[in-house]
Amino acid sequence: MNHDALVAVARAVFEAAGGTPIDPDYVLPTDIPLELSGEAVRARLCVFTDNRGAEMAMRPDLTLPVAQREAARLEAGPSAKTYTYAARAFRLPAAPDDPFEFTQVGLERFGYAADPAADAELFALVHRAVEACGVSPKAIVTGDLAIFPAFIDALDLPPVTSDLLKRAFRQEGGVRAVLDAASRPLDTDVLAALDAPDAQVALGAVLTARDVPLVGARSLAEIIGGLRARRAAIEAGGLPDAARAALLALREVDCPLSDAPATLSALAKTYGLTSADAALGAFASRVEKIFGLVPGARRTAEFRAGFGRRFTYYDGFVFEVLADGLASTQPVAAGGRYDGLIAGLSGARVSATGIGGVVRPDRMVRVRRTGA
Amino acid sequence: MSRLTIAIPSKGRLKEQTEAWLASIGHPLRQIGGERGYTAEIDGLDAEVRLLSAREIAQGLIEGSLHFGVTGEDLLHDLAPDGPEDFRVLRRLGFGGADVVVAVPQAWFDVDMMSDLEAAGAAFRKSHGRRLRVATKYLRLTRRYFAQKSVGEYRLVESAGATEAAPSTGSADVIVDITTTGATLKANGLKVLRDGVILQSEAAFTQSVRASFTGEARAVADTLVGAFSKSDHKF
Repeated sequence: MNHDALVAVARAVFEAAGGTPIDPDYVLPTDIPLELSGEAVRARLCVFTDNRGAEMAMRPDLTLPVAQREAARLEAGPSAKTYTYAARAFRLPAAPDDPFEFTQVGLERFGYAADPAADAELFALVHRAVEACGVSPKAIVTGDLAIFPAFIDALDLPPVTSDLLKRAFRQEGGVRAVLDAASRPLDTDVLAALDAPDAQVALGAVLTARDVPLVGARSLAEIIGGLRARRAAIEAGGLPDAARAALLALREVDCPLSDAPATLSALAKTYGLTSADAALGAFASRVEKIFGLVPGARRTAEFRAGFGRRFTYYDGFVFEVLADGLASTQPVAAGGRYDGLIAGLSGARVSATGIGGVVRPDRMVRVRRTGA
Repeated sequence: MSRLTIAIPSKGRLKEQTEAWLASIGHPLRQIGGERGYTAEIDGLDAEVRLLSAREIAQGLIEGSLHFGVTGEDLLHDLAPDGPEDFRVLRRLGFGGADVVVAVPQAWFDVDMMSDLEAAGAAFRKSHGRRLRVATKYLRLTRRYFAQKSVGEYRLVESAGATEAAPSTGSADVIVDITTTGATLKANGLKVLRDGVILQSEAAFTQSVRASFTGEARAVADTLVGAFSKSDHKF
């Protein structure tokens, strides 16, 4: 089968699952991917400037423009909907044999119950599309971006610390960098201003006395908020050793998916994290349902605690399907849950659960050619 | 491109200091068409000499359209898509020194280090519904350094000049810029973060890793490299 034939096969699998075909906007304001995902994605964005100087980007995937259109539709009232597509996406190549443009065939569901069954069904559907294209998965890498936050919450840390750790988990340097950052004392004049009856007036007086102008968009109130957060972190005395050990141990988890529920539960038990039970229960239920629908995944699927943390708008179950003859950075299929995306795109005016997955026919052509 | 091509900064202090360095290693520069000409010869070297802007020189070395050149390390590091393996600094010349730094308003008493900037950025996004803006002309250097320091909560704004004024004019909140004494930053109400020095840059005699050195060019290159290796002249 050539590329177009694979597109047709995969498309038929997704359309059989129900859903409205969609081919949304090719061009997005660069603000949408950048405000949502940060500068890290810029390196892969095909960017240009329009006639008024506004920065625009070719769609880097289909999830973003489909979700953007869905957010607009939801303004009229909530209702669940499924979309399918076979459409071009555009990315600056990360490797010499990466194409600038390629077709993604996929499916996105919005507004349905976000439960283990829905995760497993979406995964099984994408897996079926890969197999229908004559490619047998060599390995499936999975992750769950809700597990780390659940562990953090269970550690019962001061809010400043837990917020910081949750954000750090998604960044390149990661949690270790945050854990290693020593707490530093604050300027005594500034500390005194925090305890004044009117902290803004007092801090304003410190600025005047030192002849420091207030430039930029952050207000005095925001600077005071930052100072209070730092003081709270100093008073909390950093991260307790047990919490530190729990997080570093979680970070290291890398095992067959079939062992993952037991491994994670054992970790939670060791560190006394009973309030992570709900998240771990949902995780175990999902694993069981995945094996029920895709028995072969018992052999091929792995779980890595850190997997998917840089997939910017995903916030739950995530997976990639790898095949022979391609690098681990070139999955033939991928997908996951992004329950916060619609809220992020609409400035929190509307919200809806979201989950989706895609296959890459261009890569499957290469796998088939190498005879795997 | 079998003839050796060398690029020299076309104007200013950088050009004068480069000329002085060439003279000191026994290969003085002679400009063709007077001070305003854009080609020149180097005594004792059968090479094509081009007078270009420092940015064009860095770009040409990375692409391989130049064999050798004198330019700032800041530009080399910023323009190299794959980082330091895209060029080979043969000698740091001891002039044209400046630091590329991350600077924030002095009024930000809560932000002394990159990790504080990360926290401030996250809080800013929550209250303003947009990311903190960072003005710079060093797009790649900034992106790499912020990623290395685990700072993701920001947006880059490309700056064409007068970057240090961006916070006071409201076009950005943070800057990444070059500084020698810090006086300009201070005058604009800014301070350098404690771990905010991205690069200590100076002018560097640099070899391209992509240009091909064949036959004749190879021999001339050896002469030139031999000349400055012998000289201990310190600027």
